[in-house]
Formats: sequence, C-alpha cells, structure tokens
Amino acid sequence: MNNFRLTTYLTSNIGADKSIIDQLLSHCAIRQYKKGDFLLRQGEKCEYSFFVENGLLRQFSIDDKGKEHIIQFAPENWFMSDRESVYFNQPSTYFIQALEYTTVFLVAETLLLELAKTDAAFLAFNNKLLHNHIRHLQRRITQLQSATAEERYLYFTKIYPDLTLRVPQILIASYLGITPESLSRVRKELAGKNHKK
Amino acid sequence: MATKTVELVVSPREPHFVGDGFRVHNFIPSAYRLDMQRMDPVIMMDYNSRYYFEPSEIPKGVGVHPHRGFETVTIAYKGKVEHHDSGGGGGIIGEGDVQWMTAASGVLHKEFHEKEWSKKGGDFQMVQLWINLPAKDKMSTPKYQSIENAAMSRYKLENNSGEIEIIAGEYEGLKGSASTFTPLHLFNAKLKKGATANFSFPNNYNTALLVIEGDIKVNSTEEAPTDHFVLMANDGEVFTIEATNDAIVLILSGEPINEPIAAHGPFVMNSKQELMQAFDDFNKGKFGYLED
Repeated sequence: MNNFRLTTYLTSNIGADKSIIDQLLSHCAIRQYKKGDFLLRQGEKCEYSFFVENGLLRQFSIDDKGKEHIIQFAPENWFMSDRESVYFNQPSTYFIQALEYTTVFLVAETLLLELAKTDAAFLAFNNKLLHNHIRHLQRRITQLQSATAEERYLYFTKIYPDLTLRVPQILIASYLGITPESLSRVRKELAGKNHKK
Repeated sequence: MATKTVELVVSPREPHFVGDGFRVHNFIPSAYRLDMQRMDPVIMMDYNSRYYFEPSEIPKGVGVHPHRGFETVTIAYKGKVEHHDSGGGGGIIGEGDVQWMTAASGVLHKEFHEKEWSKKGGDFQMVQLWINLPAKDKMSTPKYQSIENAAMSRYKLENNSGEIEIIAGEYEGLKGSASTFTPLHLFNAKLKKGATANFSFPNNYNTALLVIEGDIKVNSTEEAPTDHFVLMANDGEVFTIEATNDAIVLILSGEPINEPIAAHGPFVMNSKQELMQAFDDFNKGKFGYLED
C-alpha cells in the first residue's frame, strides 16, 4: 500500500508514525465507481469520508422544484462526506455522485474517531482536516453572498485548476450559483481582457 | 546499412469516443511500451479505424478545447472534418487531406464532422497525431498548414505498383510541403498487392507504421494486418514493406527531442510549473474565446 495518493497525503500531513498510517490504510476499503454511479443518496446514512484516489465526485442537493445545486467537487486528493449525516447520524440531504470513472478510499467515521482517541498526532490531523473544511465552507458562503460572477469563477479556478476542462459548464455554473449564460459571458469577458493577439 | 527490425506489433485497443464524433483506438501513449517518450516526438496517436456514422442533422464532433505546447496533425482517410479556432481560423479537412495545427502558445478549437457530410453519413477514418515541440518553440505563435491531397509530393514506385505520398520530410529526394520544428518524416505508402517499398531513417529516429488498409509484411517476415501499429526498433536504418494485398500504410519517423515531458490533459510542457501556468492562462481567457 505505498503508491497511493492517500498514503502520500497522510504521510505529508500527519506527524504520526508509520504504524498509525498503516493501521488506518489497512482498515480502508478501496472502491471503484463508474461515471454516474452514486456513492450516497438523499435519505441514506453516510458512513464514510470518501478520499478520491483518482477521478472526480460531486456533492449536490435537489430542491423542491427538482433543480440540482452543487455544493462541492472532489477531484484527486480531496475528501468528500456529509458531516451532518456521518457525525450527527442524520439521514443525508445530499447526493454524492461520480462524474468520471473514480477510485475512492472509504474511510469509516468510527475508525477516525478510534484513532483520534489513541494517537495525538492523528487527533491533530483530524482537527486540521475539519478546520480546513470549515474554512473552505466559510469562504464559499462569503463568495456566494458578495462576490461577482467573475470573482466566483476565478476563485473556483484557483481551487480547482483543471476542472474547467473536466466538467461541463452547466455543472460549474451550478456550483457558482449563476446561470450557464452568465458563466459563458464571464469567460468571454475575461478573454476580451486577457487575450493578446 | 543495418536492418531496422520490428520491435513490436500492436493490436488496436478497445475504442473510445472523443466527443461524439471520433471513435478512436489510442496507441500512443496508452498502449504497452508506447508512452510519450518511446515515440518522441510523436507523443499521441488516436486512430479512428474505419467506422460508419449514421446520417446526422447535427454534426458530431468535439466541442471547444485548448491545446498548448505541441502540434496536432489530422490525417483524413475517409470522411470530412470542419474545424474552427479562437484566432478566427477554420477550414475543412477533406478525404486525403492533412491539417497541421501548431498549437504552440495556445489555441482553442473545435472539430466536427463537416455539415453536408454529416447529413449523408458514411465511412469515417482518421488519424490524429500530437507532435511535440522543443522547449524553445512551445510558446511560439500558433499557425496552420493545410496540406491538400492534390498538392502532395508523390514518389511513383516501379511498374506502377504504387506510390509514396510525402506529407512531411523527404523520400527519394522528394520533399513534403509541411514544415516541421524538428526533423520528421510522415508518409502514406499506397501499395498494390505484391508491391514493395524500401525506407531508410537514421537508427536513433523513432519509427512506426500504422496499417490503414490491407495487410503487410515488414522485412519479409513480420506480418501486420489492418489497423495494427508496428513499432520499429532503434537498431538499424533500412526496412522494407511488402503489401500482401492492396495496402495503405502511414509511416512516421522522427528525431527524438529528448527533453522532459510534463503532460496533463490538452497541455504538453516541460515542467509541472509550466503546466500549472497553462491551466491558469486557459482559465483566465488568455487562449481567447470560442463559442460552443
């Protein structure tokens, strides 16, 4: 179990010794999903944090009118989960779906909690992960409240540099909370400003 | 001069669709032992083997996408493709024609079946190659070379047994019209049953054949059927192709650039940093804009 992204991720992020990391990895199942497969559906209980080894996931909700709203994308090296469901034991209000052929590690919440009890470094890592997640969501809320469409788009490309080439415009627009037409206009205007012929 | 022997005969892999208009077998870089370094400077080969497309009012193809750091070469054997780019360029690649696009510092383009052709449908067969650029030319200005079949140099083989169409490089003193950044030969050998043709390339040139039609024997012994790829070893200079029945063979031979390759998606650069720059430039609209 050495050439996985998850191994590198854990090694470079946790000051824990190798045995803890090996212990964690040995308890994680690895799964493959085809494009379109669901890892979680609304109403189900989310049991895992999904770590994307290869591929791409999206997490979204569907409103009363049947419209989808993407809250997050998870390409390689990202975790995706529903904290409300996984930690607070609620049925999930989200769907998690593979947008490409995707390989994920299933990291059980119970496993994380167990390891955090016995290993200080692991607890610190888990905290960092959570705070990172909170920071990401805070920024996202601010963006949705007060940033222009162009600012949102540019911020998106900073977080997800290659997704503009992997994801259809309509899904990016859904994430940004703008219409596909607005996204198209933003990209056209950016090209007008930045393209030197 | 020593014989260049056959290193590997590769069967076509399972095809996949690029957009909805190109049903391709990828040979380079995904086939066994055909990574980007092995056939350097030819770093990608997608082969749309002959495939019938039903008539379609809406042309099938690939939507807007960028390229940076290399050239795309499209060789049309059957069918017609229409392309447009962010520089306002565009055109039609007809049967037998070749389009040589130097993406270099960056273009956005889209490629679709030509409108009228699409309405009728028909057999479609094409090769797309990516030819790497040396570091010093990766950020040069994009350009096109449209090489029409009628204008290609042709070397007639003895006894009217066939001809060699020269797209780029040189064969028996005849030069192809395409200009290349590094030494590269690209030919179509059209051979009648029983015809033979001889080739000679420096032994360090990475060399391969793709059998477009018919069946061939290389150096009298190695058989390669239709749609197979033949990788030649770097152990000699000369080799012979014999057509076991009427055949068309694409022949590629290029001097390796031997520089580091950093590739992700539609960008091929020398370092990870340059790749990240490519994504950033693309996201910021520096490649221009093209309507879907």
